[in-house]
Amino acid sequence: MCKRSCAFGKVCPLLHREAAAKTFGSAEEGTVAGLKSIARAGVLVAALGLMGGALHADNEPITIGLIIPLSPPGDPTAGQLIRRGAELAIEYYNEKGGVAAGHKLKLSVQDSQGRPEGGVAAYRRLVSEEHAIGVTGFFHSSVNLAANEVAKGMGVPTIGTQTSAAEITSKKYDVAFRTHVIDPVRVSAWLDFITQKGFKRVSLLAETSDYGVGLVDETVKQNQEKNVGLELQPMTFDRSSTDLTPLLLQVKAFKPQLLINIGVGQPMDLMIEQAATLGITPQTAMLISYDAPVRPQFWQLHPKNGAGLYFIAYYSPRQRLSDLGTWFAKAYEDKYKESPVYSSLNGFGDVAILAQAVDHAKSSNPKSIIAALEGGRFTSWAAADVTFPRAEGVYWHNWSPPVLILHYTDANQDWKGAVVVVEYAGTAAK
Amino acid sequence: MAAPILETLQLTKRFGGLVAVNGVDFRVRAGEIRGIIGPNGAGKTTLVNLITGLYPPSAGDVRLDGASLLGCAPHRVAHAGLMRSFQVSRLFGNLSLLENLLIPYFALARGADRAAGEQRAWRFLELTRLATMAHDLAKTLSGGQRALLQVAVGFMNPLLKCYVLDEPFAGINPVIKESILALIEHENRANALTFVVVSHETALMRRLCGQITVMMDGRIAAEGTLDEIARRQDVIAGYLGKAGI
Amino acid sequence: MISTELIAQSLLAGIIIGVVYALMALGITFIYSIVKMINWAMGEFYMIGSYVQYFLIAQLLGPDLWFIAAPLAAFSVFLFGYFLEPLLIKPMFTAGIERKDDYATVVTIALLLMLRSLATVLSGPYQRNPGSNLPTVMLGPLPESGARLAAAVCGLAVMALFYVLLKTTWLGLAMRAAAQSRFGVQTAGVDIFRMDRIAFGIGVALAGLAGALLAPVFLVYPTNGIVTTTKGFEIIVIGGLGSIPGALIAGLMLGIVESLGASFLAPAYQNAYGFILLLIVLLIRPSGLFGERVRQA
Repeated sequence: MCKRSCAFGKVCPLLHREAAAKTFGSAEEGTVAGLKSIARAGVLVAALGLMGGALHADNEPITIGLIIPLSPPGDPTAGQLIRRGAELAIEYYNEKGGVAAGHKLKLSVQDSQGRPEGGVAAYRRLVSEEHAIGVTGFFHSSVNLAANEVAKGMGVPTIGTQTSAAEITSKKYDVAFRTHVIDPVRVSAWLDFITQKGFKRVSLLAETSDYGVGLVDETVKQNQEKNVGLELQPMTFDRSSTDLTPLLLQVKAFKPQLLINIGVGQPMDLMIEQAATLGITPQTAMLISYDAPVRPQFWQLHPKNGAGLYFIAYYSPRQRLSDLGTWFAKAYEDKYKESPVYSSLNGFGDVAILAQAVDHAKSSNPKSIIAALEGGRFTSWAAADVTFPRAEGVYWHNWSPPVLILHYTDANQDWKGAVVVVEYAGTAAK
Repeated sequence: MAAPILETLQLTKRFGGLVAVNGVDFRVRAGEIRGIIGPNGAGKTTLVNLITGLYPPSAGDVRLDGASLLGCAPHRVAHAGLMRSFQVSRLFGNLSLLENLLIPYFALARGADRAAGEQRAWRFLELTRLATMAHDLAKTLSGGQRALLQVAVGFMNPLLKCYVLDEPFAGINPVIKESILALIEHENRANALTFVVVSHETALMRRLCGQITVMMDGRIAAEGTLDEIARRQDVIAGYLGKAGI
Repeated sequence: MISTELIAQSLLAGIIIGVVYALMALGITFIYSIVKMINWAMGEFYMIGSYVQYFLIAQLLGPDLWFIAAPLAAFSVFLFGYFLEPLLIKPMFTAGIERKDDYATVVTIALLLMLRSLATVLSGPYQRNPGSNLPTVMLGPLPESGARLAAAVCGLAVMALFYVLLKTTWLGLAMRAAAQSRFGVQTAGVDIFRMDRIAFGIGVALAGLAGALLAPVFLVYPTNGIVTTTKGFEIIVIGGLGSIPGALIAGLMLGIVESLGASFLAPAYQNAYGFILLLIVLLIRPSGLFGERVRQA
């Protein structure tokens, strides 16, 4: 089966449905006429596969790709939560009859395992074999970055669902989009927190991934630029280390007032436990750099040491939701018997945005989708509209939800009841 | 002959195109000390390897006390009552002499009791006059002492019926040779054990063995007492025609 | 900041973790000495031990009876290994396979992948924590988690027991002999295939025990065996394959080097320090510190 796209189309326009559509005016008529040509060409047609491009024949589903971590060393819980949201978005649009006059949506889920190679392979598969019109779901920054490098050449846009490394958007690729908190915003939020609490000595323990190193660098930078005057102890560790004791002993010797836990998945969990064992917490406060503590498994893993932790969240039930968001919250609660968390909300939102983009573009041509994403206003789960302007630096094609810092005061506390210590509005692009 | 304790029936071994053992019918009576002699390359060691289960035969059978040993793994052969010593002593260098002796006892005795095993081992340590070195590592022994110990190890099998010794005297000093000889004769008299001894030492074979089997070119060329064999022209020609004993 | 307190703390932390890694190494080296093959799936037996411990504690015994659950977990891993060996490993000897090392590598790596996937399918990719009520203990200047200390103490006890049994029991004697001459021990009447099964079972049970003891420390998830396998093999190379004291000493060295390196040099390269130690040892003694010298010529 031939899988190459436009090359053949240029040679045999009659067999290339997009070209046929352009010639004959509408997708449906083009297809009929194209089919007549195909009948004449006979065997050749049977041998050639679908070409990318124009909307497929009636009832041909439109595929949206989801690249998520479903197994270690990635964070599989995050992946599952994003998936839940994405699946509900597909359900929502298909119940309404599909997009762009009747095309149903199909979700193709790929496991990145949290590794860049996994993300690259998944993206290639989604674009060349499944003809996805957009790829989203990204959780690990390194995976998003790697996929974007390939996307640059293959042309199908990506939307980072929960990836925060600056270069995902700051490289200003046409294909790269993101609907998550970027490093500068996250760091500003926690500097707000630090100033509010009056902390002066802060340890940063970060994993040596794009995520971790990026946040440490950004914190050091903003500490200087804003003259916050903090004494920082930045340290990095290999993600695969299970024994953080040597580093934690140094933290203990530094006697900080706050330890920022910049690990994702296992390292984050291990740090919580090992810091408690060494007696660093609870005297020293700990801030978890992302929203893992909102997940149901959190208290099972940390029955004793979870109380007293601060953590970042991107959603609070007090926030206003859009109508779409309200539909989603109810559907999620009915299906999973628990309130939705940010990962699911944003997974839902990103698939919804892509569906809306196809609707606006009335085409599955990647360039049209990109144009639609850049030019349109979209409804995600939050009350505010989503836009992806061609802005400067890291704000390019980026929409950030607001950043919250929550505090667990008791063990087994429901995250919805946690105290909101900081609410930092996501800075809109200029 | 009364039912032999050890017999081979048309035993054959081919290595590619070479026939090392060719349809050998070898029979040993219970209580015999049988010798096997022959020029180099006659197939003596191959025969021994076939009998003790190291090589699977290409054809034929091996029977100990009427039961076929065909297809038996080496440890099952030992369980059946057949032990074998090697020309280059196989001992466990990093274990003590006592430990070397105890292994076959514990491996093969049902419901083995440590005291009984150690008693038996000490008996052989005395007999071989190695008792003072009982706790030394086997690798510290001289070549002759290792040969002696190896022979003793075979006797530790509580189920022993037939002991096959492959060149037990090779490269050993005369004193040790005498010790090995004495050990074999003693066990043969005291416990009616059967022995098959492969060797080039004619003088010792004369003293030790009743019957001798001569192998040449993978076949049995002659059997009888050493004197009877020495008179046979074909045997002499066979020996002189080869590269010497 | 270098202070004697930090040095002492790092040293102690390194020793404790080194003991546990040594358990893994002991399992690997023991299996190798009898069965003459490298079991690449050791980490997965660690992982199974940790899962069994988790389920015993979470469903039946509760965290206070960890010291009953751990031997049970180790024993269950022993049984698993004992019944797995004739299926997977024995054919290496009986089926006329010539390239035994390659066979063993392929089979144990396939086993590794299968066990990991099985764990993910059965239990999900999530981490689990059986929990521990052991209090934090002050070891001199170092606050050490009770569970980690218990793991080290039990590990040492098991290693000592193992050594004693090896030297004094009949089975231990047969194993020591088999390690020296696989063939010779058969002609002495020992059923080598039974020895293989028992040795394999014991070796993987040691890994399973390490997993069970460390379940509350390093948590339970399908890929938690990877790090321990890597450390185990580093230790084998440093200490010498086939040497039991080598496993313990090299384990301690590795733990200490990594801990001190991470404390006083860049912590991001913690794993690299172990490899540097490995390279240095290989340059000086290619067969490992206690490994058997390969004969020249």
